[in-house]
Amino acid sequence: MKNTKLRILSSGGYVIHVDVCSDISLECVEATHKLYYTLKKELSGRIKELVTGIVSLALFYDPREISSNDLIKKVKELWEWSQSVELSHVYKPRSFVIPVSYGGEFGPDLPSVAAWAGLREEEVISIHTSTSYTCYTIGFTPGFIYLGEVDSRIAAPRLETPRIKIPAGSVGIAGKMTGVYGIEGPGGWRLIGRTPLTMFDYRRNPPTPIAPGDLISFKSIPLENFERLEGVFVGDYRG
Amino acid sequence: MIIVGSLHVIYLAGVATVQDLGRYGYRALGVPVSGALDVLSAAYANALVGNKPNTALIELFGSIILRAGEDTVVAVSGGLPKVFVGRYEVSSWRPIYLKSGVELVIRPSEVGSISYVSVAGGIVCEEVLGSRSTYARGGFGCLGRPLRVGDTLVIRDVDTDRLWSEVCDLRPALKPDNRVPKKHESLIVRATKGVHFEQLPDLDVLLNSEYVITLDSDRMGYRLDGPPLRSASRLGRLPSIPTDRGYVQIPPDGKPIVLMSDAQTTGGYAVALHVIPPDLDILAQARPTQRVRFTEVSVEDAEKHTSKYLSEVERPLLTTAGDEEY
Repeated sequence: MKNTKLRILSSGGYVIHVDVCSDISLECVEATHKLYYTLKKELSGRIKELVTGIVSLALFYDPREISSNDLIKKVKELWEWSQSVELSHVYKPRSFVIPVSYGGEFGPDLPSVAAWAGLREEEVISIHTSTSYTCYTIGFTPGFIYLGEVDSRIAAPRLETPRIKIPAGSVGIAGKMTGVYGIEGPGGWRLIGRTPLTMFDYRRNPPTPIAPGDLISFKSIPLENFERLEGVFVGDYRG
Repeated sequence: MIIVGSLHVIYLAGVATVQDLGRYGYRALGVPVSGALDVLSAAYANALVGNKPNTALIELFGSIILRAGEDTVVAVSGGLPKVFVGRYEVSSWRPIYLKSGVELVIRPSEVGSISYVSVAGGIVCEEVLGSRSTYARGGFGCLGRPLRVGDTLVIRDVDTDRLWSEVCDLRPALKPDNRVPKKHESLIVRATKGVHFEQLPDLDVLLNSEYVITLDSDRMGYRLDGPPLRSASRLGRLPSIPTDRGYVQIPPDGKPIVLMSDAQTTGGYAVALHVIPPDLDILAQARPTQRVRFTEVSVEDAEKHTSKYLSEVERPLLTTAGDEEY
């Protein structure tokens, strides 16, 4: 695959970091997901934890059980194989629909995204809801989903100054990525709306049903419907 | 019928949370590890009262007064805290018989910043995703928030007198004094190269300079002040990578942040170094104004030190008072 150059580095005596690509593109993200699901299956029981970045992976291992050198060898072997198959061979992506109330109090940055794009707010909403996005990864804070790829017409950059407190369910745009905040927290993404769904519920296991590679689409809902859907778990919503 | 004990928070100045050794297995869903910052101290506090190392206990920055509802056995470890039972000063890092109604007073010493208070049987509270560690930002784990005056913690019941006869002579095989940063010396912290070392041509600055821990430090990260890594400002934002405690991130201002237990699971700042686990425990004990220097170790050495450390966390090395004092 073009653009991919596997770069592997061990650190701390218990982590192996794998960079699949240096840029963020759907192609690189898919290569990362193929490797992620391959390693997840093939190295289960031999490593402690496997975490994805956007185009990278971290393998946490117990140095008393396996050395970094042996693990790197294993990753290199599995890399070749993982790229020779389709993603569906190692993971069957699931689809989720997320209802969003756009603009107003829930999407304070919708006007600035529209201004950046030179479009009307309704046009931004229509572009944002017209695509199905790939879940790149989940991280930063509990249940935060990184999605892409955002239409370049509405790919407004991050805010200069991040907000300290963003409510759970907020939907934001940061360049070619869009995302949903799983819990309340800080962040610099431009907020264009909010979903009434519970995106992360620590009482459930797993606390979110969404996994890297899954397909997410957004549906615009009127403000009146927000309350009715509040608290519905994302895994239980049938759009 | 299950008889339970209780521990009451009478006074608190600072921040106290219930922690165990961390919430592993959910980082792929963005859930931070949380757990004790000084892992080894927490494991020892538990071992000294006959608990498994991963039992829920109190992590304390500051001072606290606790009162037990029933006779119990406790231990206080960490950065050499001052411990009083009623009016009498007792030793940290050893089992303490605490009679019902008597106050246990814990104050920080001048050297360390964190104390751990274990209680025989362990604190009973809500387990979330396999751990009782409090992740206050997410509002979950145990109470889902720091302790407050007036809180009552439920303690799993044990046969206190029998337990006391088993543990009263237990002592740590390590010397707690050697684990805490020396106030007037630079704390030397061992680290391997971090994920982005190749993108930071001025990494030498970090390895050859002295840094100071700032007041702006918490369970998410300890911020350091000192010579900035200028190359970081040119890197801009990198694709978010998985992060972990011990990662030394360099934001665009070039001043290092050492990630701690409540850190975000992914991050877009350059990672210059990775502090090895045993040294991160010691760094966690350092107070604001403490001077710090990094020294580089190889991955092979880091694996060796980490292996030994993990075994000690799983099985703290104990001796008995007789061996130690005669």
